[in-house]
Amino acid sequence: MILEVLAIGLVISACLAIFIDEAVYSVAALSGVFLFTSAMCAVSGAVFVAVFQFAVGIGTLAVLFLSGEMLGGKMEKKPKPKNVLLVLASGALFSLPAVFLSVFQTTNSVPPLSFGETLWSLRAGDVVLQGLVVLGVALGIGVVLFEKRRKGEP
Amino acid sequence: MDFVLLSLILLSVGIYGLLTKRELLKVFVSVELIATAATLNFVMLSSSAGIQVGEAFLVLAFSTDTAVSAVILALLVVARKKYGTSDIGELVKPAKTEDKEVEA
Repeated sequence: MILEVLAIGLVISACLAIFIDEAVYSVAALSGVFLFTSAMCAVSGAVFVAVFQFAVGIGTLAVLFLSGEMLGGKMEKKPKPKNVLLVLASGALFSLPAVFLSVFQTTNSVPPLSFGETLWSLRAGDVVLQGLVVLGVALGIGVVLFEKRRKGEP
Repeated sequence: MDFVLLSLILLSVGIYGLLTKRELLKVFVSVELIATAATLNFVMLSSSAGIQVGEAFLVLAFSTDTAVSAVILALLVVARKKYGTSDIGELVKPAKTEDKEVEA
């Protein structure tokens, strides 16, 4: 029962995040998406993923709130309660198929592996991914410095 | 309760936002929704099947997701600083007018 409630909340938050025009309200709705997702992961037994999702979500939201406040400018109009109610109703409607329908049957054909074993066996991919991230950051910094030097900026 | 359908619904909402919204912040929110849909699909499938490969893979995928977020936010800041707007339609306009001037 709790998973169904979380799923409905997740879809409603997603709809609010997309359909509300104001940036700050949209980011607030996105925080609901992260919260419901990590709660669903925790309830399903994936505690590690829930913690990671929560931590990454908090960091993203902090940056998004700051950028939304700084770059979004002054709040032009508040969302109308009628529109918010409409989005809430459509979000609840969209979540109904996931709650009441079932199209997938799980099979236990793959032998179970522990989280630690799997993470250890995927360490090469982890190193490559982190290397790509660091390389991307280094390239970005290099391009910015090169452009500054080309333009003669200090 | 079907998590594949739930992921599909989230993915649909994210793709709708990606296709219709012109604001870069909204595009970022749409990308986050699509990433969340993929996350949920991996986690729930691995949890229900009793294997933890999906969960371990996700911990690695979070780093990529964070890098994507950083790139979009950097684009947002640069666009706002250089052009004074973060509307994709407004950002494309100067390039078009410059092209017409060159052709003329």
